[in-house]
Amino acid sequence: MTVPAAAPAGLLSSGAPRFYLTNEFGLIVLIALFAAAFGLLTAGFLSSFNLFTLGRVAAVNVMIGFAMMAVIVTGGLNLAVGAIGVCAAMACGWLIEALGLPWPVAIVGALALGAALGAVNGVVIVRSGLHSFIITLATMSIFFGVMIFLTRAQSFRALPPLFSDFGRMRLFGSVSPLLVVAVVVGLGLIVMYRYTALGREMLAAGARPQAAALSGVRVDRIFVICHMLSGALAALTALLVVARNGAAIPSMAGQLGQDWLLPAFLGPVLGGTLLTGGRVSVLGTFLGAVLVTMLTNGLLLLRVGEFWVQTCLGVLLLIAVLIDKARRSFLAHRRMV
Amino acid sequence: MTRCREFMAAVAAAMLMTGAAAAAEDTKVALVPGGPHPYFAAWEKAGQDAARDFKLGAADYKVPQKWELSQQNELLESLVTQGYNAFLIFPGDPVGSVSTAGELADTGAPVIATAGCLKDPSKAAFCLGTDVGNSAYIGTKELLKAMGGKKRIAHFTGFLVDPNTQLRIDAVEKAAKEEGAQVVQVIADIDAPEPAEEKINAYLAAHAGEVDGIVTTAWVPAVVSANALRKIGDKRIKMVGIDHDEVVLKAIKDGFVTGTMLQNPYGQGYIGSFAADRLRSGCTVKADAPFKTNALTAKFIDSGTVFVDASQVDTYVGAMQGITKELMATFEKTYLTCK
Repeated sequence: MTVPAAAPAGLLSSGAPRFYLTNEFGLIVLIALFAAAFGLLTAGFLSSFNLFTLGRVAAVNVMIGFAMMAVIVTGGLNLAVGAIGVCAAMACGWLIEALGLPWPVAIVGALALGAALGAVNGVVIVRSGLHSFIITLATMSIFFGVMIFLTRAQSFRALPPLFSDFGRMRLFGSVSPLLVVAVVVGLGLIVMYRYTALGREMLAAGARPQAAALSGVRVDRIFVICHMLSGALAALTALLVVARNGAAIPSMAGQLGQDWLLPAFLGPVLGGTLLTGGRVSVLGTFLGAVLVTMLTNGLLLLRVGEFWVQTCLGVLLLIAVLIDKARRSFLAHRRMV
Repeated sequence: MTRCREFMAAVAAAMLMTGAAAAAEDTKVALVPGGPHPYFAAWEKAGQDAARDFKLGAADYKVPQKWELSQQNELLESLVTQGYNAFLIFPGDPVGSVSTAGELADTGAPVIATAGCLKDPSKAAFCLGTDVGNSAYIGTKELLKAMGGKKRIAHFTGFLVDPNTQLRIDAVEKAAKEEGAQVVQVIADIDAPEPAEEKINAYLAAHAGEVDGIVTTAWVPAVVSANALRKIGDKRIKMVGIDHDEVVLKAIKDGFVTGTMLQNPYGQGYIGSFAADRLRSGCTVKADAPFKTNALTAKFIDSGTVFVDASQVDTYVGAMQGITKELMATFEKTYLTCK
């Protein structure tokens, strides 16, 4: 489901490479291979408990990847993705606990705050002309700092039980509803990028801003909307983490929200989203995040020393990417691509 | 390190003398800190000794790769899949870890919050750790005593997202206020080498003349401050640190640091492993056990804290051994009901 910039609709169906030749197919093969290996080599990898927890962790990583992907489309970055998420989650807790608002209103409020903070990023980037790296690096500290000041680092845990019930719920014994949310959001993003004018304008503006502007696309406005979308997705991700933890806590994304940065890049980059913008792969981001989550889980079950997990993860990812590159080179050599 | 080994061996020997009831060999205890940190290094030996002394299936020290709540959660979930059935956990977050502890407890595994507490209500059997507020309070009092009437102190502490940090800040403030002293600067978020080096050295370079004393309530700031005072070479500024890093102990001997507030990580890991096994073996927590109350929980057991200055720095092992031995000797009778 890689969507190139401003590709004519016809090409998407007739000119695009066949699915088994795509990056996404390569990821599916790798996921299947590693799942089979971990299933054979470890006791419990395929147990319903492990599949449930694996899906729950993967859902959050997928959503974090989506939040970053929404801005990578523009050729930019959103380093404040974690800080925005935490701010939104804390706002949700505050609206429920301090103001006594019903949880649906609080959720809408949190999503709105996420979008608003994203809009702040977008507007400052567009108005200043500075790279999003600089702006979001600064706002990461600002957003997080203000949140810590306002909350005094205290958590909100008197949330309605349905939050934690949702986080613990198991569908069909081993499927987390958090994963269902990630799938639904992914489908929504695919529809948006593939079938809506807004999605196509995002891709066009990210690929060649000047050309897009000449074509009538309001590039600045589109960039701001991309950051709003990123903020809203970060907020939704944080709400999933609230459901998983049963509370809104300031440390949910680590110091300054930095814990989210690695998964934010891994999914999109492994999935084939171009860092230069203009090309997005929603399915690839989903699969990339699932692959990384599964590798981490499998390595832990293999009892690789905890400090070696990160090293082994890096080696396996490198092997995975090289295998995929070899596959594509082979196909290119055979003139199949 | 030699001193640490001596300490651990001495405590283990003391534990054996106090004796322990028979235990289930299928008990597999996981001792899981919030992330890599020198404070928890003693847990590894404590687990090994507990496994040997109490004939446990295992008592393994498992460290999350990074100090992240999500990484700790993933590790804990994988440990359940690996067959661990009892958990000593330093909560990655006192509130955020409640849900995970609940899920672990739901699998039938006893969970003991160790070295740090979960916020009530939780499914943790109890919390075995240092009374951080009391430790900071005593340390500040000792510092002010050593300052001999001077009144300006700086406080270097841990991460703001850790609610224990606010307890420490409040305790230092309270102790200073009682003595008519002033906390002129609090620097937090520095329980890691890079930020601690940067902020403490910068502060002392610019404002060393404005403070008469330093109290640190986190491991890394204590080490960095001790090194900084040694570099400055001026023993005018008094300091009370925390924990037993060799750098801090050497600085106490050499007169650059007044003393340190010791905690009891080995005792926490050793006694915690014992207690987890007893809970698996059918014991229950006494409803009327003499738990203490702190800001997070009403089921708190103080694992002990002592102030050590130059006169005790060579004998502190004995002091902590005494506390641990005393706690271990009466633990089952005091806190558990066993058939």
